[in-house]
Amino acid sequence: MDKKKGKISFTFIATVIGFMIAVQFQTVKKPVERDTRDIWQLREALLTEKELQSNLLTEMRLNEEKLAAYESKRKQSKEQALRDTLEELKSEAGLKEMTGPGIIITIEPVLEGIKVGEPISNVVSPELLQRLLNELNMYEAKYISIDGQRVVNTTVIRDINGETKIDGHAIKKLPLEVKAVVDDQNKAETLYNRMKVSKAGDEFFIENLRLLISKPTSNIIVPAFEQPIRVHYLEPVKEGGVS
Amino acid sequence: MWLPFVGLIVGIILGLLTEIRIPVEYSNYLSIAVLAAFDTLFGGIRAYLQNIYDEKVFVSGFFFNIILAASLAFLGVHLGVDLYLAAVFAFGVRLFQNIAVIRRILLTKWSTTKEKLEKS
Repeated sequence: MDKKKGKISFTFIATVIGFMIAVQFQTVKKPVERDTRDIWQLREALLTEKELQSNLLTEMRLNEEKLAAYESKRKQSKEQALRDTLEELKSEAGLKEMTGPGIIITIEPVLEGIKVGEPISNVVSPELLQRLLNELNMYEAKYISIDGQRVVNTTVIRDINGETKIDGHAIKKLPLEVKAVVDDQNKAETLYNRMKVSKAGDEFFIENLRLLISKPTSNIIVPAFEQPIRVHYLEPVKEGGVS
Repeated sequence: MWLPFVGLIVGIILGLLTEIRIPVEYSNYLSIAVLAAFDTLFGGIRAYLQNIYDEKVFVSGFFFNIILAASLAFLGVHLGVDLYLAAVFAFGVRLFQNIAVIRRILLTKWSTTKEKLEKS
């Protein structure tokens, strides 16, 4: 009888202990905490959260960039590479309109000559133009057009029956514009300075012509070469052939 | 012998289910009370095994120890001295001693039964 009673009290106390342990465990594990932070602590908390947010945004942006990079890589297949090369070659051959920094040279007649009875020159001799072109090329002009005609590697400037013709386009009246485009603004400056002091001005003046060289500007448009380029003596290299 | 364990488990489950939480500032008291209760429990087990178990001593010891420990902690908080450490120390030492005694008793019992088995 006594033993049984003892067992019961033992069990009761064990239950109480278990209860206490559970309560203590819960209290330590997750204490109920009231929010007693003042405004500055709240601000700090907000700041940390904001930092977290900005970090997350940065991460998001990085991931998006990566995604875009992968996308563009996927697009840059062989076909794309070929297209790019074609475009490049076209622009090099002068079949594309080019825009860039450069200068505009205006060739105009010297009107003061009228007073002393000199005839007004209305033609520019091909030799003069060629010299001008040579000089421009020397000073690293990349794309050149004369009177709206793109100058390419096969361009001919010659005198046909007293008319100066550029690839069949006749220069009939002055003033005419020569546009030269270079790679960057610095080179445009250099080109401008060199043209200012070049002999071309004097050479043109001898023929009663004057060169007006514009200040370098950043957006000069050189038109595309419009006629088909005739290639008579060029042949594609055969695969594995002797180049 | 298994009944107390069932009681312990039932108590733990009850405590977890009711989701009672005491304020943080009182969790110290509860922890010391738990320690005291453990001490009493193991003391009771030891007394039971030594056949000197007295229910009155056990039950009164349980409550008295808990109250004493809690009041010591209370006093310590108000005096600015960590008096509850004294209770922790005392109960801890006693807990270890009690468990050691229980272990020895059980070992002796086990070896005697083994001998008996070998003899028979």
